[in-house]
Amino acid sequence: MSSPAYAAVRPVITAWSAVSPFGVGRKFFVDGVLAGQPTAAPLDREQWPGPDEQACLVPDFSVKEVLGRKGTRSMDRVTGLAVSTIGQLLHDADGNRVVRTGEESALVLGTTMGSAQSTMDFVRDSFTGGQPHHVDPARMPNSVMNCAAGQCAIWHQLRGPNTTLAGGGAAGLLSLDYARRLLHHGRAGQALVGAAEEYSTARAWLHRHSGGTTVLGEGCAILLVEPAAAVGEGRRPLAEVLAVQSRFYLDADPRRALAASVRDVLTDAGVRQEEVWAAVGSAVGEPGEHEHAQLRALFGDAAVNRMPGADLLGDTGAASSALRIATVLSVAERSAEAAGKLVVLSAVDPYGTAACALLRLAD
Amino acid sequence: MNRVVLTGIGVVSSIGIGAEEFAAGLRAGRSGARPISVFDTTGFEHANGCEVVGFDPSRWLRDLDPSTMGKASQFSVAAARMAVADAGLAGQLTDKRGLVTVGTTDGESFDLDRLVETEVEDGPEAMDGAGARRVPAPLLSLSIARELRLGNVSAYTIATACSAGNYAIGDGFDAVRSGEVDFALCGGADAMCRKTFAGFYRLGTIAPEFCQPFDVDRKGILTGEGAGMLVLESLDSAVRRGARIYAEVLGYGLNCDAYHQVAPNQSSIERCMRLALDDAGVKPHEVDLISAHGTGTKANDITETRAIRQVYGDRPPRTISVKSMLGHTMGAASALGTIACALAITHGFVPPTINHRVTDPECEIDCVPNESVAADLRVVQNNGMAFAGNNASVILGKYTPGEPAVNGLAPVAVNPAAADPRPADNRSEVKR
Repeated sequence: MSSPAYAAVRPVITAWSAVSPFGVGRKFFVDGVLAGQPTAAPLDREQWPGPDEQACLVPDFSVKEVLGRKGTRSMDRVTGLAVSTIGQLLHDADGNRVVRTGEESALVLGTTMGSAQSTMDFVRDSFTGGQPHHVDPARMPNSVMNCAAGQCAIWHQLRGPNTTLAGGGAAGLLSLDYARRLLHHGRAGQALVGAAEEYSTARAWLHRHSGGTTVLGEGCAILLVEPAAAVGEGRRPLAEVLAVQSRFYLDADPRRALAASVRDVLTDAGVRQEEVWAAVGSAVGEPGEHEHAQLRALFGDAAVNRMPGADLLGDTGAASSALRIATVLSVAERSAEAAGKLVVLSAVDPYGTAACALLRLAD
Repeated sequence: MNRVVLTGIGVVSSIGIGAEEFAAGLRAGRSGARPISVFDTTGFEHANGCEVVGFDPSRWLRDLDPSTMGKASQFSVAAARMAVADAGLAGQLTDKRGLVTVGTTDGESFDLDRLVETEVEDGPEAMDGAGARRVPAPLLSLSIARELRLGNVSAYTIATACSAGNYAIGDGFDAVRSGEVDFALCGGADAMCRKTFAGFYRLGTIAPEFCQPFDVDRKGILTGEGAGMLVLESLDSAVRRGARIYAEVLGYGLNCDAYHQVAPNQSSIERCMRLALDDAGVKPHEVDLISAHGTGTKANDITETRAIRQVYGDRPPRTISVKSMLGHTMGAASALGTIACALAITHGFVPPTINHRVTDPECEIDCVPNESVAADLRVVQNNGMAFAGNNASVILGKYTPGEPAVNGLAPVAVNPAAADPRPADNRSEVKR
């Protein structure tokens, strides 16, 4: 939240992966980002009998196909997204484990409300079954918001702090700040940090009834965050997290809160506005237009135009700002110009948070 | 690093609203159990729970319209307003840098239940838009910031199920300890819902009448509801403004079993308690009281008491369960447990484990059956354990002006007003 805190840890991102409408794994994500290909597609209305004609789905994503049949009988979609993203991060292309886990590994996973589908399905049986307690006990954990984080821990032996952070569209940046605090206080040696959101018929109905007009998307992005002084063997920093700031915004107007958060991260890191190479917003639809207009006013068109727009993946809810960090890292991976550059990432959440992070890409 | 103290408490519970009533309820061993009325229980053979009765949100809300908020948010906002007033900080936090974090299990599942009921009866097109807008879990925290007009806070919800209150308190502790924020407003909230009741009922873990932790005849949990919110600030800040100090937060521990979604894991719980002791800088024999997770299920109580004996030895501290009185308030549970610990320190008593007849020989602890006892408590621990193996233990210490902390940390200069245990006049501005 303030520079001394970041200077104390110097958190660096040393690995990442994403499961997204671009596909399963980092390679698909980088290719998709670089191609700038929109992912919205017509929905199979038999599988998704909700109010939407189209959405941005992880193509052909099936928990059982991605993770196998063992241990997945009752696993819901958002849990599958998170478990598989972390699996991608922890292993190399040949399936060899390359990141150790255990007691020193924290997980901070952002969400909006877990799986709305699982929660609503679970209680639906209570209304439609022969008896009100005729619910499926095997699926009860899915109806609780920490299900995905807990299953990730079981699958990947993450025995450190295991936090589910409900932060809506800002969840990715809030989780990054939360994870930095864990590392600062020695509560973990490394943290897997990110956020996940599933597409579901239940989410689509809630979105529609809440007045949402954006095309929904889904996905999960996870970063491995370590103190700069304790990066694990075989890894190197991809980016340093210089500062993260977030603010609740009053009176339904995020502009002042976002401006204040931007100002704070720059001040905390001792960075001048004109030194920022790229400015990246996370929201889509009309709020996204406002967010990007503000970033253009602050940092100029060139800085905003350096990254593809957020709308390629649709409205990915809690996963949005985590997926935007992955977008930045994707561009950095393929761009010599990006080396050593400063990037501002923002998130404006409809429920009341404006957040901002400042990263320095590795040389 | 700052020393961190607890200077404000807000409580919405089935045994009392506000710190004073809650403390009186704990001391008297009051039971919150009664037939559930918040949802239709037709078809369940038994349906007792620990509901909050007589809660009028409009007493606590000045800006927000209660109809725009779910019940859990109403509880969290009411408790937050109480806590801020109790700390003598009403109206003073507008520009202060702060962290607002509320732990929860079910968020606004009470509203989700009703949306599903509508869907079943009239189709998904008929769902209520206002209900849909109430359900995102971040609102449990953001509504506090909105109602109290906190313009310089980070606010988010920690959804780590039934240990979420302790998770949130730990997060607030760290943020205040390192000086990142001037204050933390943290705790937990949950509203009773059909979904969770039906689930536990199906698992066979809902007790027919009352909750009797550690008893040989215990039959499970009662679901409950409420909120507990705490104001944490640095000791320097509290002393400077002459605030009443309930207790010092000494440290906490978090870990994950990574073992089973539902079943507890003894060695992992042991490790969590050891992490908390290490963080707090206290030895096991220095702990005077443990407020256990103590749900009243067979599995929890045996596993937890065995873990306690592994860590604290054959003569463990008195180990109580406030769930005997409050039921299982889910995400609020460990926040209310930590508040109970602070009130126990402040008022010098051990809350009882009520509904107790015969201690289970497999739960070899003194659970302080049925009657509270007077005690000078210096170090108290509160446990929270959750689905998904999320464990969190918080350790509080007695604060004595001018003396070193109970874990040996140096004292600070003391303003004599801080020693006054009575609330200052400006602390009771909230209508009761």
